[in-house]
Amino acid sequence: MNEANQYVIEMLHITKEFPGIKANDDITLQLKKGEIHALLGENGAGKSTLMSVLFGLYQPEAGEIRKDGKTVQINNPNDATALHIGMVHQHFKLVEVFTVLDNIILGAEDTKLGFLQKKQARKKVEELMNKYGLLVDLDAKVEDITVGMQQRTEILKMLYRDNEILIFDEPTAVLTPQEIDELMQIMKNLAKEGKSILFISHKLNEIMEVADRVTVLRKGKYVGTVNTKDTNKQELSNMMVGRPVQLEVVKAPAQPKEVVLHVEDMCVASKLHKRNAVNNVSFDVRAGEIVCIAGIDGNGQTEFVFGLTGLEPLSGGKIELCGEDISKSSVRQRGEYMSHIPEDRHKHGLVLDFTLEQNMVLQRYQEPDFQHGGFIRFDEVRKYAEGLIEKFDVRSGQGPITVARSMSGGNQQKAIIARELDRNRPLVVAVQPTRGLDVGAIEYIHSQLVAQRDEGKAILLVSLELDEVLSLSDRILVMYEGEIVGELDPKKTTAQELGLYMAGAKRSEKGGEQA
Amino acid sequence: MTFLIQQTLIYAVPLMIVALAGVFSERSGIINLALEGIMIFGAFMGVLFVNLAQTAGWFVEAKAAGNWLALQGFEILAMLVAAAMGALFSLLLSFASINLRADQTIGGTALNLMAPALVLFFIRMIANQNTLQMATGDSASWFMIKKSTLGFEKNADLGFLGNTLLNKVYLATYLCILIFVVLSIILYKTRFGLRLRSCGENPQAADSLGINVYKMRYAGVSISGALAGMGGFVYSLTTANCTSNGDVAGFGFLALAVMIFGNWKPLNIAAASLLFGLFKCIAAAYSSLDINGDGVYMLSQIGISSHLYRMLPYIITLLVLAFTSKGSRAPKAEGIPYDKGSR
Amino acid sequence: MSFWKKESTQKVLASLISILIGLVVGAIVVLIVGIFNKSISLKGAWEGIRLIFIGILSTGRDAKGALTWGFNPASIGNMLFRATPLVMTGLSVALAFKTGLFNIGAPGQYLMGTLATLFIALSIPSGALPGWLIWLLAFLGGILAGMLWGAIPGLVKAFLNINEVLACIMTNWIAANLVTWAFDVSKLKNMVEGTKSGYIYKTTYGLVDGTYVDGAGVATTKLGLNKIFPGSQINAGILVAILLAVGVYILISKTTLGYELKACGANRHAARYAGIHDKRNIVLSMALSGGLAAAGASLYFLSGNTEFFWSTYQSLPAAGFNGIPVALLALNNPLGVIFSAIFMAMLDVVGLQLTNLTAYNEYITNVIIAVIVYLSAFSLAIRMLISGKRKKREKRAEDKAAPPAPPEDKAAGDKAESAKGGENA
Repeated sequence: MNEANQYVIEMLHITKEFPGIKANDDITLQLKKGEIHALLGENGAGKSTLMSVLFGLYQPEAGEIRKDGKTVQINNPNDATALHIGMVHQHFKLVEVFTVLDNIILGAEDTKLGFLQKKQARKKVEELMNKYGLLVDLDAKVEDITVGMQQRTEILKMLYRDNEILIFDEPTAVLTPQEIDELMQIMKNLAKEGKSILFISHKLNEIMEVADRVTVLRKGKYVGTVNTKDTNKQELSNMMVGRPVQLEVVKAPAQPKEVVLHVEDMCVASKLHKRNAVNNVSFDVRAGEIVCIAGIDGNGQTEFVFGLTGLEPLSGGKIELCGEDISKSSVRQRGEYMSHIPEDRHKHGLVLDFTLEQNMVLQRYQEPDFQHGGFIRFDEVRKYAEGLIEKFDVRSGQGPITVARSMSGGNQQKAIIARELDRNRPLVVAVQPTRGLDVGAIEYIHSQLVAQRDEGKAILLVSLELDEVLSLSDRILVMYEGEIVGELDPKKTTAQELGLYMAGAKRSEKGGEQA
Repeated sequence: MTFLIQQTLIYAVPLMIVALAGVFSERSGIINLALEGIMIFGAFMGVLFVNLAQTAGWFVEAKAAGNWLALQGFEILAMLVAAAMGALFSLLLSFASINLRADQTIGGTALNLMAPALVLFFIRMIANQNTLQMATGDSASWFMIKKSTLGFEKNADLGFLGNTLLNKVYLATYLCILIFVVLSIILYKTRFGLRLRSCGENPQAADSLGINVYKMRYAGVSISGALAGMGGFVYSLTTANCTSNGDVAGFGFLALAVMIFGNWKPLNIAAASLLFGLFKCIAAAYSSLDINGDGVYMLSQIGISSHLYRMLPYIITLLVLAFTSKGSRAPKAEGIPYDKGSR
Repeated sequence: MSFWKKESTQKVLASLISILIGLVVGAIVVLIVGIFNKSISLKGAWEGIRLIFIGILSTGRDAKGALTWGFNPASIGNMLFRATPLVMTGLSVALAFKTGLFNIGAPGQYLMGTLATLFIALSIPSGALPGWLIWLLAFLGGILAGMLWGAIPGLVKAFLNINEVLACIMTNWIAANLVTWAFDVSKLKNMVEGTKSGYIYKTTYGLVDGTYVDGAGVATTKLGLNKIFPGSQINAGILVAILLAVGVYILISKTTLGYELKACGANRHAARYAGIHDKRNIVLSMALSGGLAAAGASLYFLSGNTEFFWSTYQSLPAAGFNGIPVALLALNNPLGVIFSAIFMAMLDVVGLQLTNLTAYNEYITNVIIAVIVYLSAFSLAIRMLISGKRKKREKRAEDKAAPPAPPEDKAAGDKAESAKGGENA
């Protein structure tokens, strides 16, 4: 076999620019037939852009793509499909009200006189399901099945189109550890059958487990390609970030003091089903400690935070904050004692069309400092915002009058953190405060939270990232299906044990009852 | 009873066809607030076509010869003209909301303002008054199918069904029902329908599968425009005394209500438009409505004002929206401009 | 930042371009009709085109039949009179827009204002109360009725998450029927002037011993404006409207309430997160909008020289719908509303001139308005055309100063934003 057709896909010297940013700068990626090739990089490193170029969603400014050694032009997803390239997107591209079968055939329908012929399609899909162990109920509506099943639907979509090159964009972000194991097995099966797989991820454990080779990107640039068996996690991590990374957070042991937050038998009704989304949750958070609620996405954490902060009413139980019952208090009343770094900075954290200074006083505009007789004191708002920008190093184009929408994700998050921490409340509720940020910003936010703890604040952290949970918290509470199923000491537990709790495979009897 | 059914059908059919127009647009992802305006435009174009063509030689001959097939064919032709013009007019909405990513609600409102303005301007220029007649003389009777049209004796009794469905009816009514059925099947059973619906639910998904979202949305809005234009013409033919006056009395908005009431599903819409048609019919004719055929005008004796009957469809829609807002399911991506660049 | 690069400058420029295109489209229609209509000819078309652009300065025809031009106090006075309700409905729509709501319910609110105002003004016997008090009660009563009517779509939007556009359309037609019904059973129908039985008494009629007498009722004071613009219908209502516009401007841009309303409009979820009562603000915004639209009706009918055609169940008042173009043209700026309303009123007057002086008719001005609304639907695209490449270059420079969020991140956020716009209904 000669050098040229050893590769099924080659992306050579790809450059893709967006207004104001070079998302891909001279990137080369070569995929061998039957291998699992990981694409590693931080958020914003250009992984998704590169894959979108391969899939025909974007046209590169420079570079070429070769299939089996021949140069090809991929102008749209149809071209990609014709070349047997398929992709499972990070956010699934499924029509929720359609059945699984309709979703699989959509865009590649068999028809007679324009009318859909689903019988043959069903037969073909059933064969594929059996061959690769991808069982899904074909007649269920996508909105009614689990995320794992939805992912299988996406994989079946690719296989139905006889794709040979399969792209998985951050496929594990939404899965339980068990589902992740199953997915890894499916990927290995697919590779064994001769499919070539591109696996996009920033999770080193998974890459080390499943991939044959890794290509690393950083800030839009190509860093290198290595065999997984010749490398280790620390080396990959350094390649990804560009400098030695402190994988651990530096912090002194916690010195918990009085109880700040006391939650007792708290329940929150679910909007999706009849059961409670949060069920009989009880725990305490003390001043000077970071308590983390760990769990897989969708196990009631969001509803719990909404119930705690007053965005949703409780359906049972009570919450005491600094000795006061706040179970029925409004968001604003609760805000007297807690600050809240929300999960979704675009939906809740910021009014994107407001300026930075307007966002800085989102909760405080009605305080006497910033208004007089119902009229806003614009000069005071400006002064305050400038102070915060300086103190927390929030970078933006035009300072306080920058429109929030035009700021980078990291600086948007910094602005929220500045606003919330400066309110100086006894309790800080931080929900996924580092989601989607690069390592530098993550380190900064972690250090700020530790500093708050050391000042005597009570910190309640809700996180989906196992690494963050283990390195930042002083105590871990695991939430599964709306209940606290275990309390763990981060120094004594392991990721594996935590995973078992998170998946509901293990629960400690006293979990939830203590307090 | 015969009268009640016929009148209800006459009101219900334009509602039904225009509500389906809304479905095609919204299922493709474009909110079509302009149904009212497109109806007005289609009605005007259809009426104008008949008005201009009635002097053509072949038509005069056919009419003189009492060739009712030619007259019915002429009616179909006028419907087609109205549909084509409606589709053409709706291109303004597609262009603004698909290519320029304009606010669809405002775009639709603009069309609603534009249609009566244009139509009235031209009617005034043409007829020197605010109403355009379809034809000189009693044009309604040209197109109405009567017993005599079908070759029966004037006083022949065709039985209840025959009297109801064959006497004093319009071909357009049945054509619209047929079109409604055919298009509903297309929406659910064909490749085109599946793809159209996917664009209204998740255009990103459709695009990633190689479906041209822009094209599908253009198709959806154009079908919508054609149906609304045709509905407008049928409205002026059957309920507006064959005239066009820059107004369809809020029928387009009522159709929008029917569409939501029917939860964007053809079968429910058919039922909802019959219900609304019944109200319209009662409101228009309650004082002379003899339901049991016993000479007692029951509804007028109850003493409820016709104003109430006129209001009922809107009140009911509001109440139904209020009680079913959780269950009602609009196409997920409707109203959101699709931008190929951002995904 | 220089004057031309300012966003606000470009927005105003976009509006002006929309107006210009609208007028040009009107002129083209006039031209085409002129070419195809032999009785008009090119000469007539040229007259029509001139009237479209500067009809407000027309003073009729001279003895030879040529158009004459100059300051026409009657036209300008009538323009200001007609602008009065438009300022109010424009403010109504603009205020709702600021809170992220599309108040297409202004026609219904306008009708309810008409109903309450006329009932109050005509039901209180002359002499029972001082005239100015009757006027004030009728004005405030109208506003209250509009507020209550506007609150309905606000309530269903806030608590049941029903799209306010649909709720507004429904309430519009309910209002049209309700108003017809109320007047139908009332004793306010003017049966005196023979053929005019379809109309309600003007407010200048007063109830004296059980019968209506012209001149015994109330009317807005003219404040000497009729001396400046003789022969016109002008009165002090326009000053009230301008005052209210300034009030709305201060409310929106200077107060904490305005901050709350804007926050709810821009991002309802973030407003809730910040402890702002989003539901209360949505209802409040719609109620205020309704009150403003109704105030327009009150001012219009309390002028004393306008009659209301009561059987309105098949049509909605144009003054209500025209609040939408007024607000859009003014970019929802309450002070801008004053000018755009006057512009729209000018088109109205121009339309009458066209009808009176040429073979054309007033509906061409409605076409122009519709074109302007259509263009304002994609004003963003026009603005991008104006700023052209310069903006792109600037953006690039800005981005270098502060690296933007990666495209996928940003797009996801934008989608979340817009998705919530569509989730209701």
